[in-house]
Amino acid sequence: MLPILVFVVPVGFAVLVFALGRVHWIFREGLALLGLVVTFAISIAICGRVLGGELLTAWDRNLYVDGLSALMEVLGSGMGIIIVLYSIRYVTRHQLGMPLNPWRHTYFYGLQVLFLGMFNWTCATNSLIMMWVSMEATTLSVAFLVTFYWQRQSMEAGYKYLLLVSVGVTLALLGCVLVYAAAIPFLPGHNILLLTEIGKVTKLMPESVVLIACAMFVAGFGTKAGLIPFHAWLPDAHAEAPVPISALLSGIVIKIGAYALARTVTIFAPSYGAVVIFVAIMASVSMVIGIIMAWAQDDLKRLLAYHSVSQMGYVVEGLGLGTYLGIYGGLFHLVNHTIFKGLLFLCAGALMYATGSRRISELGAVTKKMPVTAFCFFVAAMSMGGLPPFNGFMSKITLFFALADRGLLWAAIISVIVSFLTLACLAHAAYKIFWSKPAITSNPEIVTKKVPFLMQVSMIVLALFCILLGVYPYLIYPMLDCATKCILRILGGA
Amino acid sequence: MVEDIGAGGDLIITLYLIHFAFSLLAAELRNLKWSIVAITIQSLFLTSILATFANIAANPSLYWWSLTSLITKVIIIPLLLLLYIRQLPTAETRPWLGTAPSVAAMFILVVIFYSFLHTNVEFIAPTLQAAVEPARSNLALSLTICALGLWVLLLRKDAAKAVIGLVLLENGVHLSLVTLAPTLPETTIIGIITNVIITVWLLLYLAGRIFQTLGTTDTATLSELKH
Repeated sequence: MLPILVFVVPVGFAVLVFALGRVHWIFREGLALLGLVVTFAISIAICGRVLGGELLTAWDRNLYVDGLSALMEVLGSGMGIIIVLYSIRYVTRHQLGMPLNPWRHTYFYGLQVLFLGMFNWTCATNSLIMMWVSMEATTLSVAFLVTFYWQRQSMEAGYKYLLLVSVGVTLALLGCVLVYAAAIPFLPGHNILLLTEIGKVTKLMPESVVLIACAMFVAGFGTKAGLIPFHAWLPDAHAEAPVPISALLSGIVIKIGAYALARTVTIFAPSYGAVVIFVAIMASVSMVIGIIMAWAQDDLKRLLAYHSVSQMGYVVEGLGLGTYLGIYGGLFHLVNHTIFKGLLFLCAGALMYATGSRRISELGAVTKKMPVTAFCFFVAAMSMGGLPPFNGFMSKITLFFALADRGLLWAAIISVIVSFLTLACLAHAAYKIFWSKPAITSNPEIVTKKVPFLMQVSMIVLALFCILLGVYPYLIYPMLDCATKCILRILGGA
Repeated sequence: MVEDIGAGGDLIITLYLIHFAFSLLAAELRNLKWSIVAITIQSLFLTSILATFANIAANPSLYWWSLTSLITKVIIIPLLLLLYIRQLPTAETRPWLGTAPSVAAMFILVVIFYSFLHTNVEFIAPTLQAAVEPARSNLALSLTICALGLWVLLLRKDAAKAVIGLVLLENGVHLSLVTLAPTLPETTIIGIITNVIITVWLLLYLAGRIFQTLGTTDTATLSELKH
C-alpha cells in the first residue's frame, strides 16, 4: 500500500489545493504543507521498512520501492516542505511587486504538490516506460511554475525549458523502446517492461543497440539533469523562476534526470566499458564548462544555475562508474547537492527579498544586516566547494577515490581542479556580496527589509544538515548503502 | 510477427511512402494552416499503418493503438493546433533557410539518412526480426522522421512550427514502436500520448502568450536571456 500512497496522497492533496485554494489561504498554503508533511511521513515509513530489509512492491511489481526509491522520496518530500515553508512569506503580493490573484497563488502551491506526486511516482515505478511517462509529467507540472511571473524573460525561460526538455526526453523514450525490444527475446513469459527484469539480461543484448540506447538515455535524461551540451534550458529557467522554484529545480527536478540515469545507464555500466568512459567524458565536460560559465556571471541566480550544471557532472560521473564506491559517492553528492544548492538559492532569495537585487555588482557589505543569510551562504558555499567538515567534502572525496579506483585518474584530477575552482568562485561571490562595498549603487542603504522568520528557519535547517552530514556522515550511511546495494543487486542480476 | 507480414508488405510500403510524403510537407509548408493539415494527414496514415500491422500480424492490441492514435493524433492535437494558431499569424516566421535551399538540404539529409539507416539497420535493430523487411524499412523510416522533426526544431524560428516539429519527432518514435515493441501494453501508450497532448497544449499556450507580449512568434527574438 505504501508505494501507492506515496504518490497518490500528494496528487490527492494537489487536487484539493486546486479545488479549494481560492477560498482561503489555509486551503492553499495549509493544505499544500499538510500534503507534503503526510507524504514525508509516508516516505519515512517506507524508508524504515526498506532499511529493515523489506522490498515494497505493488501492482504486480510495477511499483517497486527499494533503497534508492526510498532515498529519493525522503529527499524530495523533505525538500518540498522546506520550499513550501519558505514560499509562504516569499510569494506575497508585496514581495513580487505585482497583483497576485488567488488563482495564481493557488496553482503555485497546487503544482508544487502535484510535482511531488509525479516525482514520487517516478521513483516508485519499476516500469521502464512508465518511468518515462511520470518523468515527463514532472516536466509538465513545473512548466507554469517557471513562467510564474509571466514576464518576457520568464515566458522565454518557460518556453525553452518545456521545448528542450520535451525533445530531450522524447529521445530517451526511443532509448527505452530499444532496450525493451532488445530484452524481448531473452525474457519470454516475463514482464519485459520491468527494470528489474531488464537488469538480468543486459549482458545478452547486442552491444551496438546498448550503446545507442545509452547515448539516447544520456541525451534525454541528461537534458533533464542539465548536463552539457543539453543544458541550454537550465540557467534561464533557474534564473527566471521564483526563488523557491529555482530551489525546487536545482534541488529536485534535475535530480530526476540523475535518478533515471542511475536506473538505466548504470545497469549497463559493468557489462560495457565504453559506457563508463562515455559518461565520464560527458560529466567532466559538464563540470569544466559549467564552472567556466559560472565565473562569467554577475547575476547570482545564473551563477548558481551554472554551478548546478557543473555539480551534476559529479553526480552523473559517480553513478556511471557502476562500482559500489562510485554509485555511493554519486548518490551522496546527489543528496548533498540538493541540500547545499537548495540553501544557496534560498539565500539568493533572501538577498533579493531584502535588497531587491540579484546582481552581485549591486550587492555588498550586507553581513551586519543579514547575519543569518551570510552564515547560511558561507556554509553552503564551503560545502559545495568541498571543504571539510561540510557534507560536500565527504561526497567529493568519495567520488575522487571511486574514480581513481576505476582507473580514471584523468577524471579524478579534473574533478579535484573543478572543486577548487568552485570554491574560489563562490568565495569570490560571497566576499563581494557580504563584505566588499557594492560596485554599482548610489544607495548607501542596500538592505531595505528584514528577512522573515519562516524564510530564515528554512535556511537554517538546510545549513544544519550541511554541517551535520559533514561531521556525522554515518547518519545517512545506512540509506546510501541500501540504495547503492539496490542498484548493485540489479547489476548482479546481469 | 514480421514473418507473417509478407503478403501485406506492398500495402504497408505504400502507406509508408504516403506517410513520409506528408511528413515532408508538414516540415516544409510555410503556411501554418496547411502545415497542420499535412501533419494531420501524416498522423492519419500513421493510424492506418498501425491498423494494417494489426490486421496482417493478427495483433488485436494494435487496433487499440490505432484507435488511440486516431483520437489523439488525428483529432485532439490538430484541433489544439488549429485553436491556438487562430491567434497567431498564418504565415510561418521566415526561417533561417529560404524555401528552395531548405527543401534541397532536407531532401539530401533525408536521402542520406534513410539510405544509411536502411543499409546499416543491423547496427540499431535490437532483434533479428527487426532487421528484415518490412520492419527494416519501418525502422529506417521512423528514425528518418525523427530526424526530420529535429531538423524542423533546429532550423525553424517559429514557435508554432517548433510544436509541429515536436509532433513529427513524436510520431517518428510512435512508428518505431510498431516494429520494436508491438507488445507494449495499451496503458503505456495512453500514458505516452497523454504527455504529448499536454506538452503540445502548454507549448501552444506559451507561444500564444509570447505573441501577445512580443507581437511575434519568432523564437530568434527570444534572446534576452542569452549570455
